[in-house]
Amino acid sequence: MSRWGMIIDTRRCVGCQTCTIACKQEHGLPAGTAWRFVADCEVGEYPDVRRVFLPMQCMHCAEPPCVPVCPTGASRRREDGIVWVEYNACVGCGYCAMACPYHARHLVHEATGYFDAPTQSEAADARPERHGVMTKCTFCKERVDAGLAQGLTPGVDPVATPACSVACIANAIVFGDLDDSGSAVSKQLSEGEAQPLMPECGTQPNVFYVVD
Amino acid sequence: MRTGEMTPPVDLIPAQRQRLWGWPAVANFTLGGIGAGLYGTAVLTAGFERAPAVTLCSWLAPLFVLAGFAAVAAEAGRPLRGPRVLLKVRTSWMSRELWIGGAFVLLAFADILYPHRMLRAPALVAAVLLALAQGFILSRSRGVAAWDVPTMPWLFLLSAAVSGSGAYMLLEVLSGRAVSPAVLLASIGLLILGFWAGRAYVATPAGHAFREATASLRDGSAGRVAAGLGGALPLAALALALASPGLAAPAAALAGLCMLAGQIHVKGELVVRAGFLRPITVTGLKMSRRLP
Repeated sequence: MSRWGMIIDTRRCVGCQTCTIACKQEHGLPAGTAWRFVADCEVGEYPDVRRVFLPMQCMHCAEPPCVPVCPTGASRRREDGIVWVEYNACVGCGYCAMACPYHARHLVHEATGYFDAPTQSEAADARPERHGVMTKCTFCKERVDAGLAQGLTPGVDPVATPACSVACIANAIVFGDLDDSGSAVSKQLSEGEAQPLMPECGTQPNVFYVVD
Repeated sequence: MRTGEMTPPVDLIPAQRQRLWGWPAVANFTLGGIGAGLYGTAVLTAGFERAPAVTLCSWLAPLFVLAGFAAVAAEAGRPLRGPRVLLKVRTSWMSRELWIGGAFVLLAFADILYPHRMLRAPALVAAVLLALAQGFILSRSRGVAAWDVPTMPWLFLLSAAVSGSGAYMLLEVLSGRAVSPAVLLASIGLLILGFWAGRAYVATPAGHAFREATASLRDGSAGRVAAGLGGALPLAALALALASPGLAAPAAALAGLCMLAGQIHVKGELVVRAGFLRPITVTGLKMSRRLP
């Protein structure tokens, strides 16, 4: 069984938000909702300051605090580590969003567009099953699953790889199987530079960051 | 911090106010606590016997709990899927809250139809568990620093007892009955215990995110209102009620009102104003330029 994970190299990230837009495009996210975004952060005090771009998304934790708190069982974790929401089972209580330390969950209250009336593309992308329920990054599980069904390798073959990773112009987002020692993520992880975000939360994230 | 030095843990994304749980959630936590505490006070004061106050509270307390559930259901994105909340009782305190609250409502109403002390004991247990369950809901919210503390369930239990005894005294006065000195003394004890527990809570060593989120409760206006309106004023009124039997009724009513208002204020502050999602913290940043 695979264990999907991701390494985000903040040294490479230029803050272009291409991954943000690729994600919105891939999943048809409504206005005001972004399952991932790149935070533009400033650290330090003048004259010793530094700018850091921090791409944020669901960490697909091995011990996800969002899953056990869910009162309906809509928040789930697959055997391959992908944490997802079964929209048809979600009551939209928001408890999982309170349990997540990474600001990774987004309740879509109603369909919102960028203009007074939905544009043609917004109407085409409308997903009424996602209204009133919790949404989040899915590691593009549909792409991963479809790719695997075709014999492709997620993390290697673009069509089987999450859209953010494929779209990244700086190759800062690497996706792959953490249990495959030959995968790019495993090799990079073994170098010891990548660390999970806020390990003190005890969630054992499967998304790792290289910071410098 | 100078160039070349490594930073201590730094908040790259600051704490953000949670916006999903608002006043309907506060209503649930408040009404649930008042209902549980009211029933518990009435039953314990009557020694599990049937008394007018017990009958009245057997009506009112479950209605409070149901009103709280209705309020929070209105906040959910898909309220018609509400029965699904019962499904995950093994893992989710929200499921457990609904089960326990439902059991409490059924037992309390059953006591009205078929009065028996054997119904009051399990109803009291359910009331205690309901208050604890609501506290556990917050304490399992790891993303909110002000809630993610192990003492939260006990704070909620104490809050339920304080608000419940306040509501009980108010009801007794409104019903034209005298409030017993035992209830007045117990309320004084609960208020002192509540004040001590509140100060212990805001002093919890749970990191800078917790300290910043609870700053208003610790050093700001929210803390002063809680201590004054919810603590000092009812304590003074209760002391007056004990010292001057002629003024006992209005003083007890005032104390009850203040105890209710104080607990509503504290829960509102806790859920709405102290409800900040944790800052995103990164360690190991170097204050240096990346060389080519």
